[in-house]
Amino acid sequence: MVVYSFYIFDRHTECIYTRRWTPRPLSSAKPARPQSGGSVLSNGDANTVAAGRRGLSKEDDAKLVFGTIFSLRGLVQKLGGDDNNFVSYRTGEYKLHYYETPTRLKFVMLTDTKVPNLRLHLHQIWANLYIEYVVKNPLSPVEHPGGIGVANELFEGTLERFKVTSIDSIGER
Amino acid sequence: MSPSSPPPIWKHVFNFTRVVFALLVVNKAGGLIYNREFSAGLNKLNSNDLLILAGTFHGVHAITRSLSPLPRPPYGSFAPTDVPVRPTGLEVLESTHFRLTCFQTATGVKFLLLTDPPQPNIDVMLRRIYELYADYVMKNPFYTVEMPIRCEKFDRGLDGYLRVIARA
Repeated sequence: MVVYSFYIFDRHTECIYTRRWTPRPLSSAKPARPQSGGSVLSNGDANTVAAGRRGLSKEDDAKLVFGTIFSLRGLVQKLGGDDNNFVSYRTGEYKLHYYETPTRLKFVMLTDTKVPNLRLHLHQIWANLYIEYVVKNPLSPVEHPGGIGVANELFEGTLERFKVTSIDSIGER
Repeated sequence: MSPSSPPPIWKHVFNFTRVVFALLVVNKAGGLIYNREFSAGLNKLNSNDLLILAGTFHGVHAITRSLSPLPRPPYGSFAPTDVPVRPTGLEVLESTHFRLTCFQTATGVKFLLLTDPPQPNIDVMLRRIYELYADYVMKNPFYTVEMPIRCEKFDRGLDGYLRVIARA
């Protein structure tokens, strides 16, 4: 199982933590591949997507991810009622897992498509890592504008270990 | 088979999982051109809300296509082709009460099928629905492309197919 990236959004819709395990940043990762094949496409939208990818920064990616989960959460609640929770979505290339705490903290993880639901794992990250090392940290502020206080050594270290021991090994069992 | 004999075991297996809530068809501009409810279970939405929903989904679908974390898809790496592999966008959306499966045709029409989460073989169903669409909507000489679908035979075909599934 491959984990691509991980985001935490606070209740003010701000991205307070980003972690990437892909070798290159998300959107700007598109290598300048020869565009001679571009004309083969029936319409040009794939080209504009590729061009759009190159122009995006890390922050823009987080904003896009947030916009997506925000819209889908609204859509899901409209269709299924207020107690209906958005869990995940899958495209041909990746899968996005979503978990929201009662305090409206949002945990998002992007993995490859074969991963089963990671809702429980995201809950564990919140309960065992975020609460322990960010919320209970006496030096950390209550709110985290701009992400201060979240990316401390203990949280990042344990998150890395959790990812390696619990998520990377899902398919091998 | 005598009426007293129990139905085969697979009937029990499929009976309670086969729930299809609704079908929406979105044209390539993001407009809702068909919606049909097959069984209750989801909130009743008025046509305005449904139009908003279809438009929202259309936009989100485009964004999910550009969010791909991979420099290039893994399945492209061992099959060298000249045609660039197109990102697919959202295919399956899961929530606690329902699952939304999106099938996009080569021309950009999207079929959204809302089902129960444990429902199996949705891709087969969508393919069959696409066939019905091709047969009864696209071959209908009075149908204008991209416009709302009002074809009785399509309605009846869907009813027939999804009822058969529900009774299987």
